[in-house]
Amino acid sequence: MKRTSNILIVAALAGGAFLASCGNKGPHHRNPGKIYAPDMYESRAYEFYSARLASMKPVEGTVKRGAMLPYHLKAEDTAQANLGRNPLVLDKAGLDEGKRLYDIYCGVCHGQKLDGNGPLYKGGDGPYPAAPPAFLTGKVLGYTEGRIFHVITYGFNVMGSYASQLDIEQRWKVVGYIKNMQNGGKAPEAPATAAPVADSATAAAPVVAAAK
Amino acid sequence: MYRRVSIRLRKQFVSVLILCAGLVCSISNAQAADPGAGKTLFQQNCASCHNVHKKLTGPALAGVESRWADKALLHKWIRNSASVIASGDKYAVDLFNAYNKLPMTNFPSLTDADIDNILAFVQQEESKPVGGDKAAAGGGAAGADGKDSGNNSLLFGIITLILAIVAVILMQINSNLNKLASEKEGHDTIEPVPFYKNKVYIALCILVLFIVGGYYTIQGAINLGRQDGYMPEQPIFYSHKVHAGINQINCLYCHSSAEKSKHAMIPSENVCMNCHKAVTEYTGPDLFTAEGKKVNGTAEIQKLYDHIGWDKDAGRYTKPAQPIEWKKIHSLPDHVYFNHSQHVSAGKVQCQTCHGNIQDMDEVKQFADLSMGWCVNCHRTTKVQFAENNYYSIFEKLHNDVKSGKVDSVTVEMLGGTECQKCHY
Repeated sequence: MKRTSNILIVAALAGGAFLASCGNKGPHHRNPGKIYAPDMYESRAYEFYSARLASMKPVEGTVKRGAMLPYHLKAEDTAQANLGRNPLVLDKAGLDEGKRLYDIYCGVCHGQKLDGNGPLYKGGDGPYPAAPPAFLTGKVLGYTEGRIFHVITYGFNVMGSYASQLDIEQRWKVVGYIKNMQNGGKAPEAPATAAPVADSATAAAPVVAAAK
Repeated sequence: MYRRVSIRLRKQFVSVLILCAGLVCSISNAQAADPGAGKTLFQQNCASCHNVHKKLTGPALAGVESRWADKALLHKWIRNSASVIASGDKYAVDLFNAYNKLPMTNFPSLTDADIDNILAFVQQEESKPVGGDKAAAGGGAAGADGKDSGNNSLLFGIITLILAIVAVILMQINSNLNKLASEKEGHDTIEPVPFYKNKVYIALCILVLFIVGGYYTIQGAINLGRQDGYMPEQPIFYSHKVHAGINQINCLYCHSSAEKSKHAMIPSENVCMNCHKAVTEYTGPDLFTAEGKKVNGTAEIQKLYDHIGWDKDAGRYTKPAQPIEWKKIHSLPDHVYFNHSQHVSAGKVQCQTCHGNIQDMDEVKQFADLSMGWCVNCHRTTKVQFAENNYYSIFEKLHNDVKSGKVDSVTVEMLGGTECQKCHY
């Protein structure tokens, strides 16, 4: 009896100590601790940071299923880009989505009021050293839809490209929102049917082509 | 009659006085340039491309007047740079070539006084130290709040120990008094067994040790593989507090695929460079690691440049990019399916619900234990935004129940969120 209980106690204490030490994360929790089955935790599907797979772009010419057709103009084709037109006909929901995206990706510099004074600039007190242009006054008022889209796609001066964060449809929604706000921010006059995305994208292409 | 004339005269006198004062003001403005007015003009016209201390799209403006030989030429350059280049001025042509032949916008509407105001503002800023005292001002807040909680259990332990000792002493006193009392009455006293041979004591000890050992065994076994609180040292001291908290950058700005795909994704370096092309130094409050070591923010930004191969002085990429090997903190085992976009877009769950107050963390640590019980609890209690949510449009019966008032809200569990094969398949 006594012997069994001794064995039980020793087993319990030793097991407790062992398992507690396995879960030990070290000072300031710098270690993740042990895991039961590493091959289930560390997925074979990923190869983080391997030179072969990291920071790669999609294969040239591939189009994501359901996405809009790719934008073929290069960064220096500004003259053609100025002629581009928004292939999307945005209803209220589309503009709201444009506003949401604008507030996340653009508003941080250009201001959620489109006044060129977002939290990163803060009238010159923020960390960002360059003044982002306002959209409701000044030169951007004169930008065409296509020009704004081109700038979002390729960046301009110190502004970087947002093509990796916003897909083509999202970029056009942002453009639509900015243009709508420049024209007074009226709600759209209920377009009867929003043209199917892919069709309107191809329809926009000839406009650009004709301008060449 | 006389009064009326005098009133009229007085009125005229006043207006003349105002006119004079205005004239004097405007003259003095023209003579001594006003940096205050210059600041406004600078921010409206110049600041998109120029900074006083920093090279952006255009050169840094500190010392600009000393660089141009002739002030009139500088004025001409600001109004129409192309004409100065066309005139063949060597400095102007070199400048144009040094900045990728990017022409400066013309500002024909700026008057001489305007330009002088702007230059006065530049001169005023020049004399200020770079970065200013901002760092000193906010420094105190971040440092001291290391250890404030968590010592309660120790306190309780000590109190328990003291009470236990007191109890033992009292028991001893009690038994001694009993012994004395029975001796006095003349009873025979049984010689007490020493406590280490006392079977009751031994049995109690065994029981306690067994329970304690068992508790740790079970807790250890449960926690094996759970990594809540895990806070690895990252290759770059990237502070979420600075970016998402102080500078109010939305989570989705960098983790943009959290609403589009299964993974929230670590942003690629080009996303960092959207801002850090221009933001080359850290001027916010002092940063400290969990060990209390002070972090040099500017040096951490330089680490980013080293990885991506950006030369901040030249303002272009000079080396091939290397990935930054961030350490993954939240990892779910392969046998669990988890989809970020489903939670963020359809479920409208805030990032902080699962990741904690990331915007207050300098170094990110795992907030939730990511255990199955944790998932299931949330699925049982969370009410989804069921109406006007395209994602749930196919749940016809539930929609009818909501309409008829049979159920007032829909939880994830009612949509099958606790079924095994929802996450394990």
